[in-house]
Amino acid sequence: MKKFRLLVTVLLLLAVLLSACQTQEPAPVVDEPGAEEPAVEETKEPFRVAVVMPSSINDLAFSQSMYDALLTIQSEMGGEEAMEIVYSDGMFVVDDAAAAIRDYASEGYNLVIAHGSQYGSSLQEIAPDFPETSFAWGTTVDTFGIDNIFAYEAASDQGGYVNGVLAASLSETGILGVVGPIETGDAKLYVDGFVAGAKATDPTVQVNVNYIGSFSDVALAAEAANTHIAAGADVLTGTAQMVVGAIGVAEESGALWFGTQASQTELAPSIVVANQVYRWDVVLNEIMDLIGEGTFGGTSFVIDLANGGEVLEFNPDFDIPADVAALAEETIAEISGGAVALQAPEFEDVFQVAVVMPSSINDLAFSQSMYDALISIQEWMGGEGAMEFVYSDGMFVVDDAAAAIRDYAAEGFDLVIAHGSQYGSSLQEIAPDFPETSFAWGTTVDTFGIGNIFAYEAASHEGGYVNGVIAASLSESGVLGVVGPIETGDAKLYVDGFVAGAKATNPDVQVNVNYIGSFSDVALASEAANTHVAAGADGLTGTAQMVVGAIGVAEESGAMWFGTQASQTGLAPANVVANQVYQWDVVLKEVVQMIADGTYGGTSFVIGLANGGEVMDFNADYELPAEVKSLAMDTIKGIIDGSITIEFAE
Amino acid sequence: MISDLFSMTVLVGILASGIRLATPYLYASIGETFGQRSGVLNLGVDGQMLLGAFTAFYVAIKTGNLWLGILSAMVVGALMGLAMAFVTVNLHAEQGISGIGFYLFGLGLSDLLFQKLLGTVETVKGFPKIHIPFLSDIPVVGEIFFRQNVLVYIAFALVPIAWFILNKTTLGLKIKAVGENPEAADSLGVSVARIRYFTIVLGGTLSGVAGASMSIALLNVFQQNMTSGLGFIAVALVYFGAWRPWGVLAGALLFSLVNSLQLWVQVLGIPIPSDIAVMMPYVLTILVLVATVSRVRAPSALTKPFERGD
Amino acid sequence: MSNSNQEKWGPKLIDALLPVFATIAALLVGAVMLLLLKVNPIEAYKAMWDGAFGSQNAVAETLVKATPLLLVGLGICISFRGDVINIGGEGQMIVGAILGTLIGITLVDWPGWAVIPLALITGFIGGAIWGGIPGVLKAYFNVNEILSTVMMNAIAVQLMNFLLRGPMIDPSQAELASKIPQTARLLDTFRLPRWVPTRLHLGALIAVALAFLVYILLWRTTWGYRIRAVGQNPDASKYAGVKVRNYIVLALILSGAFAGLAGVMQVYGVNYRMITDGSASGFTGSAGFNGIVAALFGGLHPIGTIPASILFGALLVGANKMQRVVQVPSALITALNGLVVVFVVSSEIWRRRRQKKRLAAASPEGEEIILEGSDPGDSPGNEKEVES
Repeated sequence: MKKFRLLVTVLLLLAVLLSACQTQEPAPVVDEPGAEEPAVEETKEPFRVAVVMPSSINDLAFSQSMYDALLTIQSEMGGEEAMEIVYSDGMFVVDDAAAAIRDYASEGYNLVIAHGSQYGSSLQEIAPDFPETSFAWGTTVDTFGIDNIFAYEAASDQGGYVNGVLAASLSETGILGVVGPIETGDAKLYVDGFVAGAKATDPTVQVNVNYIGSFSDVALAAEAANTHIAAGADVLTGTAQMVVGAIGVAEESGALWFGTQASQTELAPSIVVANQVYRWDVVLNEIMDLIGEGTFGGTSFVIDLANGGEVLEFNPDFDIPADVAALAEETIAEISGGAVALQAPEFEDVFQVAVVMPSSINDLAFSQSMYDALISIQEWMGGEGAMEFVYSDGMFVVDDAAAAIRDYAAEGFDLVIAHGSQYGSSLQEIAPDFPETSFAWGTTVDTFGIGNIFAYEAASHEGGYVNGVIAASLSESGVLGVVGPIETGDAKLYVDGFVAGAKATNPDVQVNVNYIGSFSDVALASEAANTHVAAGADGLTGTAQMVVGAIGVAEESGAMWFGTQASQTGLAPANVVANQVYQWDVVLKEVVQMIADGTYGGTSFVIGLANGGEVMDFNADYELPAEVKSLAMDTIKGIIDGSITIEFAE
Repeated sequence: MISDLFSMTVLVGILASGIRLATPYLYASIGETFGQRSGVLNLGVDGQMLLGAFTAFYVAIKTGNLWLGILSAMVVGALMGLAMAFVTVNLHAEQGISGIGFYLFGLGLSDLLFQKLLGTVETVKGFPKIHIPFLSDIPVVGEIFFRQNVLVYIAFALVPIAWFILNKTTLGLKIKAVGENPEAADSLGVSVARIRYFTIVLGGTLSGVAGASMSIALLNVFQQNMTSGLGFIAVALVYFGAWRPWGVLAGALLFSLVNSLQLWVQVLGIPIPSDIAVMMPYVLTILVLVATVSRVRAPSALTKPFERGD
Repeated sequence: MSNSNQEKWGPKLIDALLPVFATIAALLVGAVMLLLLKVNPIEAYKAMWDGAFGSQNAVAETLVKATPLLLVGLGICISFRGDVINIGGEGQMIVGAILGTLIGITLVDWPGWAVIPLALITGFIGGAIWGGIPGVLKAYFNVNEILSTVMMNAIAVQLMNFLLRGPMIDPSQAELASKIPQTARLLDTFRLPRWVPTRLHLGALIAVALAFLVYILLWRTTWGYRIRAVGQNPDASKYAGVKVRNYIVLALILSGAFAGLAGVMQVYGVNYRMITDGSASGFTGSAGFNGIVAALFGGLHPIGTIPASILFGALLVGANKMQRVVQVPSALITALNGLVVVFVVSSEIWRRRRQKKRLAAASPEGEEIILEGSDPGDSPGNEKEVES
């Protein structure tokens, strides 16, 4: 009897041991969510996942998005027998979370997810102790170089951008409000994207942002929303779990709501327009595939619109006008296709840029527009630690500029910008001698067919046209005046556009044009403006740095001023109506991205209204009649979508 | 088209513009006249103007006091003049060249100071147009002559003052003597050095005011190289005016009026290429001089350094 | 005799080095400005040196910069000797360049060995015309040359703008929306040979050769003699039967011609096309003015102008390098340029005093010195009554 019992025990033990040695059959790779049903061949043991989260699984935001993702995968895999999920939510105390993570790991879970960027340093300690456990950590892309940590992040600025586009399109007051937790991480990324999208759609829109300093203070979030409403916002958005307070306020006041991280439609079905929903399962599937292949970490993932990890989910009960919906689709397509570069590429070493310019960096015109763009790019790339730039201004002597360009190239700068059309000849000589250097040259579209020269230009006639339309609409005397430098290049293009726009609006309007023959003679520009005013002009415009003289005359005489190249509002706040501002950083971002991808030139870029390289900047203190403002907006939209073609008058 | 040029509006516009444009030329040219009459050519006027323009602008913006701005511009111009005087009178430097050196120095320094002390282009509330009761309201004439700022009036007032000094005072006599025959003047007890110091410093002072008239009266803004070579034209006009203040006035007005005219030519759409129109004042100045062939002589000692015992 | 030979060389060397000492003094003042801008002057001036002489490329750049200075300077030597002041170099360079470029973009089917000399000569003639006009105006209409050349400078700029954005514009610009005011590019065969991989072009050698030619012209030909005679003493020359008027015109024609040559040389040796930014100095680099300074530095002697141009060219090139390395605004470079000019020009007094002392010390050799050096008593710009 004893022997038999012993034999059975041993056999049972053997059976248990044998079954424990069975390898886990992983779920097959799913590239797109829901595209394929995972074919599970043999499941001896469920895949065991443990997740630690800082807030509740039904926070309608961060933690819920992860929990929902896990549930999705579980059902795809066939239920609880295929995948076991345990969780510890509300783990906002980092220490407690660390204990939980360590505990789950020692319990032999296959995958332990630390869903909170605050858990990082704990993970750094724990993971090496459990080499057979796979850890996943978000939201970040840092795996600490430890090979059993996966990292994941959301490109939340993408959905934010689309939300912003929608918000600006639907807002009637032109004021939007944002309620955020703390100005960092995923939250800041979303908000920045939202603001960018809104501004790109309507440059005059006002986006008020409020970070309440907490992820959980619902009451404070509600008050922040009330403040936004009181300030005139009719569309709100926000991120992190405390936004439920803001959503309540939005519903009460009839403001529209845009959500992120998870769908918030059910909270206020009448006012929620759309949500950027995180589909972490896209990442989780890939992670689980890798684990199945024996890789427990070392990779980072980003969910975005392109890979379906972020989805723009529209509220079916909210009626969006067709054109707005189309705009949203277009925007999503553009972002997925990479047309909108939201994040800066990274380089091994500090990215070094040198720029050569013909006039001063504070000429309120040509050179300043490039200098300002470089400052903006530097910020975009991560500050001085990521990008350095030097400049040589006042280089109107072409010879000296050529020497400077050559010298900078020889010094090993990554990108040398020759910001002046007169530099072209020199560049043609220099560029071939420095194939490892990228050169950018403007304003022109001619790259000479040389592989390391980028060319850039401004479609300055577009903003000129818009200025002309507004000027002709507002002019009471029916006479407009233009002060230009020399009748060529970017200046002539702008002026021609202005005349075209004015004439298209009012064929009887008289546009007098004066080229003073110099880029610097302020006195002559001033007198040219006086001449215009004496001839009856009540609206003036001009281009190049000497227009400061003309702006002074506008101010004195009460005429309107329309600026270009840079914002001149500060010079005459009561008279400046609008400015076409050059945003060369739109071009520079593409150039930097191409250099990061290994292409040093050969493409030309044009900044225009469509790609945001030219922005119509309206003077907030100048009151435009509603019909003029909408005419201006329609004109801008018409130029962007091509329904308006600019024909130059002869 | 061309007939438009003869409308009242246009004529009034041309004259009013011309007067404004002429103002800085007047200050600078009258100042240079004194210098040249005493035998010194100063090609650095443009640099002095730029430094004066910046100084006046900076002081005006920081203190809100426009007259303080003028005063500072005068001081700065005088200092530049002092340097030029030392280099010319004591060191006998080649005048045309030293002038160019001072020009470059003034051009660069004003730009540098602007970048470091102000950094952005901005405007200042400068001297306003003065409304003279009754005079300003005269139709046409009032508009042209009596709605200008105070610095314009002072510039024109300088002409008879300069004429008076040069032709009716002992000082003027001495200045002319030093310019014609420094040796003789010296032997008569006139200090050539002191006279030349006086005229050069005066010239610098007036150039400073010329610049200030642009930055805190006419244009109310400062920008690097805003004079755009005006100082050189001012020097040239002294020759045009045959070293006489009224002649200089004629030159400044001719040049400025033709400049205003070409502005109107463009504004009225008269089909002349813009560059050709811009050329007009320069071409006309030469043509007028050719047409009025004169036998005027320059001060004999012009550009010659003087050393006692030469 | 050997004793006096030694005496001649030593002091003369110091005389020649005076501009260098003056430059150093100016740079010391510049150092104060650098310190105020929180820049280390030593680092800055080291960069300046490197930029001018620190490598093969740097020396080549210096020589390239010096070439137009030398050419303009040669013209100034001639005109000053004729007691005529020519500050129209900027306009003369432009006109010479325009006409010379016209040759190159029109005669595209001709061979290079024909086009290049033709273009250079055309540029020479173009500058001659632009200098000749003020000359005629002065000689026959008593229009002061300072006035006329200042006006002609401005006119030349507008002419350049008009031609380069209109009739002479690069045909390939025609289809573009934003047209660059430049001519077509010169064919490869039309370019002055270069010392690859630097930018040093044949023009530099041509300029040096011309310096010797100008020396011969001024001291070994009748023309030159008469120009100098008219310059030193117009009345005496008139009584000696020299048509003073003609030689005044000639002086301006020749100095304009050399400036014109400087302009066309820039096109055929450096830029390979003409391009405008609306100003004169954008094309000329102010060589029309700086050349005057170089001539003065060189004692108004054609041979002396060679090292003077190189020194001044080094200064300009080095200063730009300094700007790039320590990132000071280029406005500081301009101011520094001005300081150097003022200091060097001021240092002339010591050269003249020393010359006078030597003159007083040894008479026979003294005369020789007067003939070769610059005479303090006859500065140009002096308006003389011109009689028929």
